[in-house]
Amino acid sequence: MTRLAFEHVTFRYPATEAPALEDVSLEVMGGEVVALVGSVGAGASTLLLVAGDLAPRVVGGRIEGHVTFEGPGPRGIVLPTPWTQLSGMAFTVWDEVAFGPANLGLPRDEIVRRVDHAVARLGLEDLGSRDPTTLSGGELQRVIVAGILAMRPTLLLLDEPTAELDPVGARSLWELVRTLASEGTAIIVATSELDALPAVADRVVWLERGRVAATGPAALLASDVLVVANLGTTVAAVWRAAGLPSPYPLTVAQAAQRWERR
Amino acid sequence: MSAALRLDGVSFSYGPVVALADVSLELAPGERLALLGRNGAGKSTLVRLVTGLARPAAGTVWVGDWDTRGRPPDQLARRVGSVFQHADQQLFARTLEDDVAFGPRALGLAPADVAQRVARALAALELATHAREHPYDLPPALRKLAALAGALALEPAVLVLDEPTAGLDRVLRARVARALLERASGGAALLVVTHDLTFAAEVLDRAVVLDRGRLVCDESLASLLGAAARLAPLGLVPPPVAALSTALDLPGRPIRAAEAARVLARVAGGRAEP
Repeated sequence: MTRLAFEHVTFRYPATEAPALEDVSLEVMGGEVVALVGSVGAGASTLLLVAGDLAPRVVGGRIEGHVTFEGPGPRGIVLPTPWTQLSGMAFTVWDEVAFGPANLGLPRDEIVRRVDHAVARLGLEDLGSRDPTTLSGGELQRVIVAGILAMRPTLLLLDEPTAELDPVGARSLWELVRTLASEGTAIIVATSELDALPAVADRVVWLERGRVAATGPAALLASDVLVVANLGTTVAAVWRAAGLPSPYPLTVAQAAQRWERR
Repeated sequence: MSAALRLDGVSFSYGPVVALADVSLELAPGERLALLGRNGAGKSTLVRLVTGLARPAAGTVWVGDWDTRGRPPDQLARRVGSVFQHADQQLFARTLEDDVAFGPRALGLAPADVAQRVARALAALELATHAREHPYDLPPALRKLAALAGALALEPAVLVLDEPTAGLDRVLRARVARALLERASGGAALLVVTHDLTFAAEVLDRAVVLDRGRLVCDESLASLLGAAARLAPLGLVPPPVAALSTALDLPGRPIRAAEAARVLARVAGGRAEP
């Protein structure tokens, strides 16, 4: 089974003294969706880079503590800037998605199977023959996710995966995240789309200045402390601003239930 | 009053792919318009046409009394300030204030005027403490705000923003919201492409929806967001405040968080102490 563990991890970027991550301990198992929430600069993106073995290996910097990854498959990371993740070697969307599996040296029919599957999962069938450089931001974001999925990662790291997506596209991506988890993938997602998390996240990790400030179920997003930190769901924030007593409802559905019971 | 921006039967294609088809639209000074639609609906193309980075294949784009066809982008920038989707990649000066000053300097303003505009723009986005920092020492989210400050410093009649809140947390979104509302109340017309309907509801009041290059809806944002059944086919989902107002049947169906909280407090309080 896939397992990622951070034990007292501290990480500093090159030429900086202040740690971007400080004493972070965290365990994520296959089948779980863990959401990282925090203000800009709190360390969520850095945590994903460390989890994906890109920091310090690729970006440099110094690390203390231990990161352990065990999994039958590789780890895959989706960066918040999809255009930087294009291979630059493919002239069609289909070939772009095939780039990863082709580099794994897989047999041709296996590549075809994986690419067709990933393309279908992201609803990209109509774009298969398009030049990736002509796509809109949201289309490109889906292509990058498909390319990562075609590598069959058992740990999937997603950094603001819906930033470029339209609302319906974002909703399908969140549904796909749940489906992947139900198939055994371990998923860590950093997102500012807090309102999506009650339906997506098994666990929420609140990062503040590189440290884990709190961790808990998605209901944490309706807690007083997160709402005050501007990290609660919109419904919880409205409830609190209205002066209604806590516990605040997390979602519209919970609010409606509570309203009926008044 | 004459329009700040007007599109008359505008069409545009990328080779065989039709991006915009016969789009007409008028924006008055001070108006706050959300340009919505699916990925690939033509929103960014419309932005390119308005900023002069592309020319309409048919129809005309008017910025005030200028036909964009006769104006290069640098001249259009006197009237249209724009921030593109990945604006954090587009800074180039050594300090933030220098970067923000680039536009007003290029307009040929006197140094004192340039300094004033830069100060106003940085203050509006609460960036003054970063004025002397190198833009690339700032986190990407603040670089995005820096690019917006550059557009504000042009003090244009029309502000065109493509996904101004992507990658921003709620605190920074609120800063952008305040800055834009302030400019609109000063008469600037806002045209904002966004998927962030929560942000749109806080700042904008008119919705134009594009679907496969065609304008399919032009109405008040509040009425559109309150009509859940009409949103789905347009690739839209009601944002939480609008959904809450509908679910709780809040009077006036507010779409802004502060207003919803007020109405909720009133209704809940009314029940508790009749």
